[in-house]
Amino acid sequence: MKFLRAAMAASLLAAWAGQTASAATGNVLFNGTITATCTITINSNGTMTVSSNLQSLSSHNAGGSAGSAQVDTTGGVSLSVDPVTTTTVPASDTTATTWTPTFATSGAQTIAETGTATALTAPGTSTVAVNLAGTKGGTNRFSAGNYQATVTLRCE
Amino acid sequence: MRTIAILAAGLTAALSPVAATSQSMTPMRGEVRSFTDAFAVRVFPGNPYNQRIRVEVHVYDQDFQPVAARITPSAFLLAGQASRPVLVVVPFDGANERKVRICTESIPFPSEQTQIRAQICGKFFGHRRF
Repeated sequence: MKFLRAAMAASLLAAWAGQTASAATGNVLFNGTITATCTITINSNGTMTVSSNLQSLSSHNAGGSAGSAQVDTTGGVSLSVDPVTTTTVPASDTTATTWTPTFATSGAQTIAETGTATALTAPGTSTVAVNLAGTKGGTNRFSAGNYQATVTLRCE
Repeated sequence: MRTIAILAAGLTAALSPVAATSQSMTPMRGEVRSFTDAFAVRVFPGNPYNQRIRVEVHVYDQDFQPVAARITPSAFLLAGQASRPVLVVVPFDGANERKVRICTESIPFPSEQTQIRAQICGKFFGHRRF
């Protein structure tokens, strides 16, 4: 009898020990939302020079230079330039000037030179070259003195 | 009017993220429900430069026409690498909803031949609830 009890106990122990331990698992979810962001850092302003026929005052002309800016974005924004409304011209310049601002980007996203709003879809840092050209038609000419214009570079 | 301002200010809580440095303006998108004649948005213009700059905040409609909104403060000097909150209260002007742009503007390097004005605009949509 004693032997039988010991044998049964041993067999029950063996059966229990053979079972695998069961573990409960659960998932922990993480959510994150990134809203559109945009930072414009102006690196340098531009310089315009006059053409030999005195009808173009532009950053594209020889000796001129584009303004430079850096745009850091998550994407999902657009970049544009406004028509130029703020200018200072010499008193001797009394004729009309047509101002045309343009921009181009390189880096995270490449945009060929344009004057229209363009979507920035790629996240990262892009370098923006901002150009400005003033032109006169007919017999009108740029005159000696200081010219100044403000180009608005917009990220929205 | 004071009640409107208090209620409007309260509504900005949902649109007030933690201000971050080196951001020109946060948030850039938002939708606000208001039970008053105006809705409010709190934005955080930032100065990514190491120098102090003058910052202006303007509100425009969808056609970039100025909107008579209350902006507190509308122009200020901002230290380098700093940001600060600006409260904008936009009237519905009788409409049930209104889309506006809130723009942060600065000319970091003035007094040169071709100067660049940096403008960061956020788009915000206000709904009126009765």
